[in-house]
Amino acid sequence: MIGVLICQIVLSIALASVFLIRPALTHAASWKILAFLGLCVLPALCIVGGMNTHVQRSEQTQFCISCHVMIPYGQSLYVDDPSHIPAQHFQNHRVPADMACYSCHADYTIYGPLKDKLQGLKRIYMQYLSTPPDPAAIRIAGGFKNAQCLHCHLGARDFDGNAVHAALLESLKSEQTSCLTSGCHDTAHDVANLNHLKLWRPAQ
Amino acid sequence: MKIREIGTGRLLRISSFLVILGLLLEIVSLLWFHPLSFVLFAFLAASLIGLGILLYLVSLVFVAAPQAGNTPIRPPVAGR
Repeated sequence: MIGVLICQIVLSIALASVFLIRPALTHAASWKILAFLGLCVLPALCIVGGMNTHVQRSEQTQFCISCHVMIPYGQSLYVDDPSHIPAQHFQNHRVPADMACYSCHADYTIYGPLKDKLQGLKRIYMQYLSTPPDPAAIRIAGGFKNAQCLHCHLGARDFDGNAVHAALLESLKSEQTSCLTSGCHDTAHDVANLNHLKLWRPAQ
Repeated sequence: MKIREIGTGRLLRISSFLVILGLLLEIVSLLWFHPLSFVLFAFLAASLIGLGILLYLVSLVFVAAPQAGNTPIRPPVAGR
């Protein structure tokens, strides 16, 4: 995909170079069309393609843990303990392994992807221009929303068949009871104790 | 300075230069797997390309348009 986009960019550069060297060519009608393609249509398509590629790339697990403060969070996906929710989801492929962070932390609303990108820019600012926080002290603003769990689990047989879930369903939907902090699934990324935890090593 | 005085050729050159620079930065951002590559693309490469496109469109609108003062006004032909 990136290869096709780079070919398109190279073609666009080649066309734009012609008009950089000899702008007088645009006096002819056929060259006017080529100028419109090379200086307007193709570059605009390159912006769209580039944005699409960058947005897709930012959803990858490797992208998220490429920031220094996120490395322990990436390691916590390998904790060898099924009570650790992120590790259990990642290791059993309940979320795509290459999009593990995004699957649980994306805001599944209409403007969610835009909000996520703005949050990402804020984190880049903190990483490079401000003081990066201690990894163990990082908290999600507003807390982890049940909607992110229910996006996948609601309607699933093992979720709906659980008597506790069925009894608390409305409370869970309205965020009155938290999936994570109400005592049921309270072990998420335990990065503060990561050094004391056994890690799972996947067979290659 | 009026846009027409700059001339089509120079506007096209500036526009082409901005587009080429932006596209080269886009290639760098695509080959560089780093959180800053998104910033490089969104704030620098896309802005330069967008500015180049805008300048090209401005050159089409303002430079290629016939000057109103030079347009001959023909008198109405009698009998029609």
